[in-house]
Amino acid sequence: MTEAVGATPAPAPTRPRLDPLAVAVRFQSVIGLIVVAMGGVIFSPRRHGLILFLAPDNIANIIRAVSETGIIAVGMTFVIITAGIDLSVGALLSLSSVLTATIMTTAGWGLFATIGFVVACGAAFGAMQGAISTRFRLEPFIVTLAGLQVARGLALVISNNQYINISYGDGPGLAPPVFAILGDRLFNNVVPVATLVFVVVAVVAVCVLNLTRFGRYVYAVGGNERAARLSGVPVTTVKIAVYSITGLVSAIAGVVHAGQFNFGSANDGTGYELTAIASVVIGGTSLFGGSGSLIGTVAGAVMLGALANILQLNNINAALQLLATGAIIVLAAVLQSLVRRREGLGR
Amino acid sequence: MSEPDRQVPLLEMRGVTKSFGGAQALRGVDFDLRRGEIHALLGENGAGKSTLMNILSGVIASDGGEMRLEGQAVRFADPRAAQAAGVATIFQELDLVPSLDVTANLFLGRELTRSGILDRAAMRNAARARLAALGVDFDVDQLVGDLSVGRRQIVAIAKALDYASRILVMDEPTAALTAVEVDRLFALMREIAGRGVGVVFISHRLEEVPRVADRVTVFRDGRVAGAASPRAPQSELVSLLVGRSLSELFPKRGGAFGASVLRLEHAAFRPRNPRPGWQAPVDVTLAVRAGEIVGLAGIMGAGRTELLTTLYGAAGQGRWSGTVEINGRPAMLASIRGARGSGLGFVTDDRRGSGLMLRDTVGHNLVGAVLRKVSPMFIMSQAREARLAGQAIRLFDVRPPRPELIVGALSGGNQQKVALAKEVLAEPRLLLLDEPTRGVDVGAKGEIYARIRDLAGKGLGVLIASSEMPELLGLCDRIVVLRGGRSVAEFPSGAAEHDVLAVAEANEGEAA
Repeated sequence: MTEAVGATPAPAPTRPRLDPLAVAVRFQSVIGLIVVAMGGVIFSPRRHGLILFLAPDNIANIIRAVSETGIIAVGMTFVIITAGIDLSVGALLSLSSVLTATIMTTAGWGLFATIGFVVACGAAFGAMQGAISTRFRLEPFIVTLAGLQVARGLALVISNNQYINISYGDGPGLAPPVFAILGDRLFNNVVPVATLVFVVVAVVAVCVLNLTRFGRYVYAVGGNERAARLSGVPVTTVKIAVYSITGLVSAIAGVVHAGQFNFGSANDGTGYELTAIASVVIGGTSLFGGSGSLIGTVAGAVMLGALANILQLNNINAALQLLATGAIIVLAAVLQSLVRRREGLGR
Repeated sequence: MSEPDRQVPLLEMRGVTKSFGGAQALRGVDFDLRRGEIHALLGENGAGKSTLMNILSGVIASDGGEMRLEGQAVRFADPRAAQAAGVATIFQELDLVPSLDVTANLFLGRELTRSGILDRAAMRNAARARLAALGVDFDVDQLVGDLSVGRRQIVAIAKALDYASRILVMDEPTAALTAVEVDRLFALMREIAGRGVGVVFISHRLEEVPRVADRVTVFRDGRVAGAASPRAPQSELVSLLVGRSLSELFPKRGGAFGASVLRLEHAAFRPRNPRPGWQAPVDVTLAVRAGEIVGLAGIMGAGRTELLTTLYGAAGQGRWSGTVEINGRPAMLASIRGARGSGLGFVTDDRRGSGLMLRDTVGHNLVGAVLRKVSPMFIMSQAREARLAGQAIRLFDVRPPRPELIVGALSGGNQQKVALAKEVLAEPRLLLLDEPTRGVDVGAKGEIYARIRDLAGKGLGVLIASSEMPELLGLCDRIVVLRGGRSVAEFPSGAAEHDVLAVAEANEGEAA
C-alpha cells in the first residue's frame, strides 16, 4: 500500500471456499427432481417390461398436470423474492376461467380480444393489490387474503355458481374452435399445449428476472428494502409490478384452465396458491426474500407433479401424497436455514 | 478492591478462536475473571469483545480453544446451559418483551404456577421483592415498553441476577443511560461483585473505567492487545485500543477548495409527521465546497443523522424553509431520486440494516446504485457490471477482491468499503457519510480515511456525521457542531477535542 496508513499489516485475506452445502441448496430442487425421477423409474409398475413411469403418455400427463400451478409459481417467484406473498392466485385463476368462458360464450369478442382482456384484468387485479399493500403499508399476506375472497366472490357472482361450459363453433354463443387447442397435445401427441404455455411463460420470466434491470430491482427490494430505497430503486413501483405479474400469470393459467377443460368454474383452483408457494420454496427461493431462482421453481413444480404421479401409479393413498409433500417442504426449508447459519447471517 | 485470592480463577478462557464466513472475529484469545471483581473489556467495534462474551454466554459456539469455569472444562450449547451454570448476560439490546409487564418479563420461561395455573399474585410479590433488593421501587404491572431505558436496564439486571450465581456479563449497559442512572448502576455493580460474582463490563466510554473497574483488558482486531490498570492514563488506553498513535491514522489534508456544492442558510425542515426522538434540522447554516471534508459533531439526538437523511430526501414528507443550495442552485429536496439526480450520495450508519444486501454478492451490491449505467436499454450488461465492480474493488481495495463473494461474509471493514464504493460509483458531487467507520477495524479505518481524502482531492464535497471526535478532528477540514437541530459553532481543523465537546455538550437552555 502506498497510502499514508500502510503501517499495520492487513489481515491475510481468507479465501472462502465454495460451500458444497450452499451449492446443493442452490440446485436442491433440480437434485430433488432427479432423485424423484430415479425413484419413479425404480418403483414404477411395469407392463410387458415397459416402465410405465417413462411412457410418453405418462410424462405428458405429469407435465400437463403441473402446467397451471407451474405458470403461477413462476410469477410467485418474483413476489417471494421481494419477500412478499400472494394468496389470491388460485382464486384469480378461477375468476379468469369464468371470465374467459363467459366472454367467449356470450360476448363473442374473438380469441385475442378475449384473452387479452382477461390477462389485462388479472394484471390490474394484482397491481391493485400491490398498490393497496404499499400505499397503506399493509402486509401482502392480508391484502392478498382479502384479494382471494374478492376474486372468488366475483367469480361466483359472474358465473352464478354454475359451470360455464364452452362450446365451439362459428356463431353466436360459440367459442372459436382454435381455443380448444389448449387441451390438445402437439408433436406426435406428446407435448401438451398447456405445457408449452408454461415453458413460454417460464422462459420469458427467466429473461426478465436475470437479464433486465427490473430483475435486479426485484432482488434488491427483497434483499434489503431500505438499502434499495436509499440506492434510488423505485421500491413502490417494483412491488406493484411483481403483484401485477402474479395477477397476469394467474390469468394466463385461468385461460389455460378454461381451454383445457372447456368450462369456467368459480370453484376451481382452490389450494393452487399453496402448491405454487411450495414449488417456489422447494425451488430454493427464500421466504425472507432477496434470493431465489426460477429454474429452481420450475424444477420444484415438476418434482411435485412427478412425485404425485409415482404415488398414483402405485395406487398409494392421496393422503400419503400430502405427507410426502409436507416432508419435502420442511427438508427444503431446513437445508436453506443450514446454509444461512453457516454464512453466519441468520438464526 | 478486596479480592479473595483463591488459587483457581472463576473463569479461564484459553486460545479461543471464532470466524464468521471469511472473517476472523477471534484469533486466539485468553481471558480470565476472578471472583468478586469487575473486569472491564475495552475495544473498538469489531475488536471481538462481544463475540467472546457471546461464546461465554452460549449464544454462539467457539471454533477452537477452551473454557474453564472454576477449573472445570465447560462448553455451553445454548444460553440456557450457560444460565444453568450461573453465567448471566445482559445484552445491549435488552432481551425483554416490551409488550409484557415487568412481572411477566422477570418470570419469563420460569413462571410460578399453582396446579398448572399461573400464580400471578405470588409472581407480583416476588417481582416487587426483587426490585426492592436492587434498591428501586416501581410499578411491576407496567408494560416494559412504557419504561424509561434506565428502568428497563434495571429490569434486565433483576432478571439476569436470578441466574447470575457466578458471572454477570454486561454489554455496554451505560450506552443509553443518564448520568444519575449510571451512578446507580455502578453502585449496583459494586454490590453484585461484593457477593462474589465476577462481573464483566463492556464499555466504550474510557472515562467510566477508573470509576468502576478493578482490571482492564483491551481487545484489538480479534486479539487481546493488552491489560492495563484502570487507573492508567487515558492516552495509554487509547494507544492500546487503536494500536498506534492517532495522528498516524489520518491522511494529509488537501489545500484548495472549489465552488460550494452545498450551502445551507438557516435551513429548517418541518416533517409532516413528526416523530418523538427524531430531531429535525431547526436552523442549520453550513457550506461544503468541492474538495472539502466537513464534519458534523454533536451528541446523540443532536440531529446529525436527521440532517443527512433530510438532505438526501429520505426523511419522508415535510417542508424546507431557509436557503438550501446545491451546486449554487436552490434545491428543496423531497425525494431520494431527486437528491441523487442533483448529485448527492449517502452512506448510512447502519450498513447491515439499510446499507447492503448482505446475502447478495459483492458485485451486485456494488452496482446497486448505478443499475442504469450497467443496463443500457433495460438489459443488464455483464461486461459493464464486471468492469464497474472491478473498478470499485480496486479503488477501495476490497479484500478478498472477488465480486462473486457474498458480502455478508466479508469483515466489517470490507463491508463498509463496499457500502462506500457503491455510492462512489454513482459519481456524486456531494457525499453524505453517516458514521463511515462504525464497526470497522483500525486498519480498514485508515484506508477508508485515505480514500475519502483522495476523492475529496478530486473535487468531491464530503459531509461526515460522526460520534467519534478523533475521527472528525483528524479527517475533516472544518467541523460544524449541531445541538438540538441547530448549527451552533464551527471549528477549523486544528481545534482541540475539548473545545468542540464543550460546545456540543453545552446545556440546551443556553443555546436557546
